[in-house]
Amino acid sequence: MQTRAMSEEPLSREELKHEYHKLIAKRLILIAVGVIGIIVFVGLFSLAVYPGVSLSESYVIIWNHIMGNAYTPRSLEWWADRYIWNTAIPHALAAIIAGAGLAICGSLMQALMSNPLADPYSTGISSGACFGAVASIVVGTAFSTFSGTYGTVFSAFVGAMVPTAIIIILADRIRMTPATLILMGTAISYFFNSMITYLMISTDADTLKNAYLWQIGHLDGMSWDQIFPMFVVTLIGSLFVIFMTNKLNVISLGDNSAKSLGLDVRKFRIISLGIMSVMTAGIISFTGIIGFVGLVSPHIVRLVIGSDNKFVVPLSMILGSLLLLIADYMAYQLSGIPVGVIMSLIGSPVFFLLIVFQSKRTGAVY
Amino acid sequence: MSSKHQEYHAENRKKVIFTIIFIIIAAAAFFLTLGFGVYKISIVHALEVFFDHLTGNIVDERGDYYIWELRAPRALAAILVGAGLSLAGVVMQNDFKNPLAEPYTMGISSGAFLGAVLAMAYGFYIIPIAGNFGEVINAFVLSLVPTAIIVLISMFRKMTPTAMILTGVAIMFLFSSITQIILVTSPSETVASAYEWRVGTFSSIRWQHIPIMLGVSAPLIVLLMLFYKKLNVMYVGDRSAKTLGEDPRNIRIITLVLVSFLTAILVSFTGTIGFIGLVGPQIARIFVGSNNKYLIPASMAFGAAFILIADTVAKVTGTNGLPVGVISSMVGGPLFLYILAKQKKSAWLRSDYPFAVDLYTGVAELLAYRFQDPLHAGEIGDAGGQHAPVFTAVPAASDELRGDAAHGHHSTLLSHLLDEHPGQLLAPVRLL
Repeated sequence: MQTRAMSEEPLSREELKHEYHKLIAKRLILIAVGVIGIIVFVGLFSLAVYPGVSLSESYVIIWNHIMGNAYTPRSLEWWADRYIWNTAIPHALAAIIAGAGLAICGSLMQALMSNPLADPYSTGISSGACFGAVASIVVGTAFSTFSGTYGTVFSAFVGAMVPTAIIIILADRIRMTPATLILMGTAISYFFNSMITYLMISTDADTLKNAYLWQIGHLDGMSWDQIFPMFVVTLIGSLFVIFMTNKLNVISLGDNSAKSLGLDVRKFRIISLGIMSVMTAGIISFTGIIGFVGLVSPHIVRLVIGSDNKFVVPLSMILGSLLLLIADYMAYQLSGIPVGVIMSLIGSPVFFLLIVFQSKRTGAVY
Repeated sequence: MSSKHQEYHAENRKKVIFTIIFIIIAAAAFFLTLGFGVYKISIVHALEVFFDHLTGNIVDERGDYYIWELRAPRALAAILVGAGLSLAGVVMQNDFKNPLAEPYTMGISSGAFLGAVLAMAYGFYIIPIAGNFGEVINAFVLSLVPTAIIVLISMFRKMTPTAMILTGVAIMFLFSSITQIILVTSPSETVASAYEWRVGTFSSIRWQHIPIMLGVSAPLIVLLMLFYKKLNVMYVGDRSAKTLGEDPRNIRIITLVLVSFLTAILVSFTGTIGFIGLVGPQIARIFVGSNNKYLIPASMAFGAAFILIADTVAKVTGTNGLPVGVISSMVGGPLFLYILAKQKKSAWLRSDYPFAVDLYTGVAELLAYRFQDPLHAGEIGDAGGQHAPVFTAVPAASDELRGDAAHGHHSTLLSHLLDEHPGQLLAPVRLL
């Protein structure tokens, strides 16, 4: 669409400065809204888990726990602290970490692949993870000797790493263009999907429903033990991506331009893919395939502040956390509906409206 | 004739031969598949029964039921779906210049699935009709909703291809979340049967379905094939299409509507059979290139042959065996991977653009990158000098164009620069 962003005449220095400052202000406002939103919803979530206290009291309880203040056992505060700290906070943290991680992976993939439809699952990670999880649910044998939940988590993680491993192994033999990479991911995920379908059709209806529920994605029953590995993986991966945003800007100009600007596109793409895969796998092997947030958060950010990855990446993180946290809060209220469903049910109309009514003046990206 | 001419014609002959080979394979597979299934019968005998029925003297009553009533319509449906979805895939990939585009990109599959699930879980029928036609109509009507919304919006405001795809994605997410809510709250048996529907199968196709499938899809297929020249124009980009006197927006909308009807009618009968619509065109493209004159027939022939063979394998594995969707992905996924890894040049990215356009794009990209910071670019603009007009042109292009560049939509950036500053862009190009 040939929309005209500014007037036909080149802007004067003052006008440019004004535009630039407005853009910066917008970014700061978005960050503030995101952070405040996250804090508010953590409080609301605590309230939903333990309605016995008021909203402000729940913040006090969280703050006191962080500060290490203890309560007399079996007092009202003691119970509130137990519930909030062991149920609400892991739940909310899982949503924040998963949302941030998936959103950052989404913005990374969209830049790496120069494709607005790319998401963390574009190279087939989700289907690999799914295959691992479904295999352990249906067949009962995991790729490890762990049993129960951790068996499923572990085999999902191993499965998720397979597509990336195949791509990295083949990396020397193929032209590493974005189109080839995405198509390879598609090919791999078709293969895994066919195996998943085979497993699911060959099993009984109840197991099929369990496997189906895993695929939709959930955050129920998150505990501190599960948060920790998720957090470490996401932290390391996010730091890498945030330090690489300059290079992401270069690579999104196209491979030839990036090369002429001195970036080893091939190497950068492989390293980024590897890190992104570990990060995504680390998250979804605990939560199941939570869709939407990785694809859409970067787009929403871009619609508001433009495409500079230096800002898109961190803002997507914040927005992704907020989106998943809100969805998780609602899913908790409507117990029985998984968070992945709520996520797309609420998010898709918002996304739809943003695309259709995007402001031509400032943020029109598409 | 010059040797270049001869080379060109030899090249085209190869493409035609590829198509003919796959038409022959599809025809052979049609007759072979009559001999496979739960009812054991030799292929020769199956052919006898088939031609007996055609000539009107039925000898083997029992064989005739299996061969004529069950297997022949099933094979016909497989041909239709294979060819139809491949064609739909070619058109979508051209319309959106995106190798990931496929017949389901606009959300058709999620609409169809929602329609089918509504029928299965709640017995909700848009038009109550006996038999499984109620479910088919549900799927058909709902699968057209996403396209209808996109067409409606584009009547009021201009939509870029990316905006269209993303709108489709948004609707798809909405539909599938509704479907998921229904399934999560449903008993396990409903989930199981819904899952089977989504995977797709030809086993429920009878002769009564064929006239509707064929009657709707054949005219659509012919119409879409007639669009091949316009699709070629689309492939080189919206701007080039305009200079060639075509209206890319109109072509996109018209072909999108045709593709949606074609896909909708096919999947409402068989379930959302995946893989072939995306990969059929891609594999054919690797062999015959991107000229739609050859690509369309080649991918249709390939798609028909592939799905027929996959369905034959599905039948061999028994009634409770693998559905056709599983077979085609299981075999086709690795095959596709192998072909991708082997090819020297990426068929999708082979530059069919004139050299000058690449050069322009390169310059425009470079400028857009170097002057991302509008303040900085403004300074250079102020400094004057030979390139000043171009440098100021880029910051004026600003945010949205950098957005385009970030998404690889160079043509928008380029066309903006060319529109706004036609003479000025030539200066740095000459320097190169």
